[in-house]
Amino acid sequence: MPYCVSCGVELNPNAKVCPLCQTPVWHPSPPPPAAPYFPTQPAVVKPASKRSLALILTSMLVSVSFCCGLLNLLLPTRHPWGLYVIGGAMMLWIWFVLPLLARGMPMFLRLTLDVAAVGVYVYLIALGVHGQDWFYHLALPILAVACVVVFCLSFLLRGGRRSILTSAMLCIVAAALFCLGVEVCVDWYLRGAWTPQWSLITLVICTGLLIPLLVIRCVPLLREEVRRRFSL
Amino acid sequence: MKRERPRWYKLDSAGILYSALQTEEYSATYRFAAVMAEPVDPDALQRAVDRTMPRFPGFAMRIRHGVFWHYLEPNHAPGPFVRPDVSDPCQPFRFREDGCWLIRFYYYERRISIEVFHALSDGAGALTFFRALLAEYLRQRGHEIPVGNGVLDLDEPPRREEQEDAYSRYAGPHTDRLRRMPKTFSNTGTPEPFYTFHVTMGFVPLDRLKEQAGRYKVSVTEYLAAVLLQVLLDQQEKKNPHRKRQVALAVPINLRTLFPTQTLHNFIMTVRPFIDPALGDYTFQEIIAQVHHFMRLHVNRQELQSAFTRNVRFTRNRLLRLVPIFLKTPVMSRNYRRQGVDPFSCTFTNPGAFEVPDAMRPHIQRMEVVLGQATVPRCHCAAISYGNTMEITFAGTQVETDTERDFFRFLVREGIPVRIESNR
Repeated sequence: MPYCVSCGVELNPNAKVCPLCQTPVWHPSPPPPAAPYFPTQPAVVKPASKRSLALILTSMLVSVSFCCGLLNLLLPTRHPWGLYVIGGAMMLWIWFVLPLLARGMPMFLRLTLDVAAVGVYVYLIALGVHGQDWFYHLALPILAVACVVVFCLSFLLRGGRRSILTSAMLCIVAAALFCLGVEVCVDWYLRGAWTPQWSLITLVICTGLLIPLLVIRCVPLLREEVRRRFSL
Repeated sequence: MKRERPRWYKLDSAGILYSALQTEEYSATYRFAAVMAEPVDPDALQRAVDRTMPRFPGFAMRIRHGVFWHYLEPNHAPGPFVRPDVSDPCQPFRFREDGCWLIRFYYYERRISIEVFHALSDGAGALTFFRALLAEYLRQRGHEIPVGNGVLDLDEPPRREEQEDAYSRYAGPHTDRLRRMPKTFSNTGTPEPFYTFHVTMGFVPLDRLKEQAGRYKVSVTEYLAAVLLQVLLDQQEKKNPHRKRQVALAVPINLRTLFPTQTLHNFIMTVRPFIDPALGDYTFQEIIAQVHHFMRLHVNRQELQSAFTRNVRFTRNRLLRLVPIFLKTPVMSRNYRRQGVDPFSCTFTNPGAFEVPDAMRPHIQRMEVVLGQATVPRCHCAAISYGNTMEITFAGTQVETDTERDFFRFLVREGIPVRIESNR
């Protein structure tokens, strides 16, 4: 019987290395081949199918889009409201159905597609109301700000390893930055310069919320007390 | 003609939790295996399964999604069928696949294995089932195996007491307040790709193990738990020398010894022996003493009863009952993470000695037990003894072998010979 020189344990007669420490096993006289102790046949595991759910959701969205599009064509109206419904259906499809079909999709690609879907939807609305001007100078910059904030937040919260306190603090910071970005975009569009007003109020409120959370986060005794009180 | 409504059964409080935790990546599964004296005959095994299943209706169930809870329903699908064993055991159960069966039967060379979803039964219940299955298999092979000595009669109807929810029966008037347990050293490693499951088994002579445990005046379970705690403390010292957290084990306790019942469903509670290295360094003798006295102090009727009464009250709470399951499940999963994963460094279970009638003994060489994958990439430890062999399994989805290597090396240093088998 072979023994591992590092671990001192007895090994399977046909072992080539010790499974505990990977030390090679040397056999002066190799034993006759025998069936391995454990089976070597891996289980064939079919990935769980989400296609049926994706199919149902797709058919629902397509039928709603088709009906609304047809109604918009048949009813005597100048406004292409059907476009909004179709755009909304497309956005929902990208948000909810695409993840079911492409489950291994990287998170950042998924976020990019989600934001792009919102962009396309807003563009359709802009087309419907002849609002290319506000689309390019207001909606697109706001979307870009949202995109940056969401990307940064997702990067910081990835893996779900942050505590609830830290996650809450990051979300508050993200909300404050987003409000700031929105006001900058709106002011630039309307006045051509940034005149900080309501976003500063939001910023102050967020800072007010952040300070106690930061204190709780930094003082272990307080942190434990809060965890106990709120069963976190 | 009046159409008969399908019967359904409530899950016990443990079953509710295990069903809620079920995901694509995790399900509470365990395996018992018997290595026979002769190669397994799959046809005889299938006949034995077909004869045994009707006697144990609690194992012939499927789980259904209700609006407010999961529930059990008798499974009338064909099967379950025996199949060749696979390299990575204890794969998650999917409630709607494989005929909705929550029990699997495998054979390989001389090994017969069963895998059970934990919502159906605990180790003690599954071992009763497995003993009856092995007895019937041997009968199918032409051996005379009498009923009794733990082998149930397959011709008698299932007893009502075997199906009872013992948690509800023994739930008392007093309940323990849910205390937040501190986070412990997690002992996690690098995760392998999904469905890769490493199993490392160590076989040690039981008499030598008892002799060694006797030197410290503790039981074999306490001795092995102390060795595991020592190994985990050493691991923490190597990996995290500057942030010393508690090192704790989840040790399931079979409540049948304290609360008499014949139930084959779940009836276990977990205790948490731990060492806090922040208080100072511990010698092995001190760790053994800590574990020994912890078990003596905390494994008592009142403490365990108040703990499971809390879980039973959760299932009986009228307000919580009205919350739809899709809202309850994420909360239960999160709470399980906080109360069932984070406060423990490792699970250690020892269902004890597998006893069989004398007529069966020559046909079974040894027993094996494997705990299914944890929710995080770390190993679980399980032990079972049969005859003079104690089998200790480390199983997990992590690449590293540090815990099992140090554990078995420790036993070797203590003068206990160890034989290793692994699927790595």
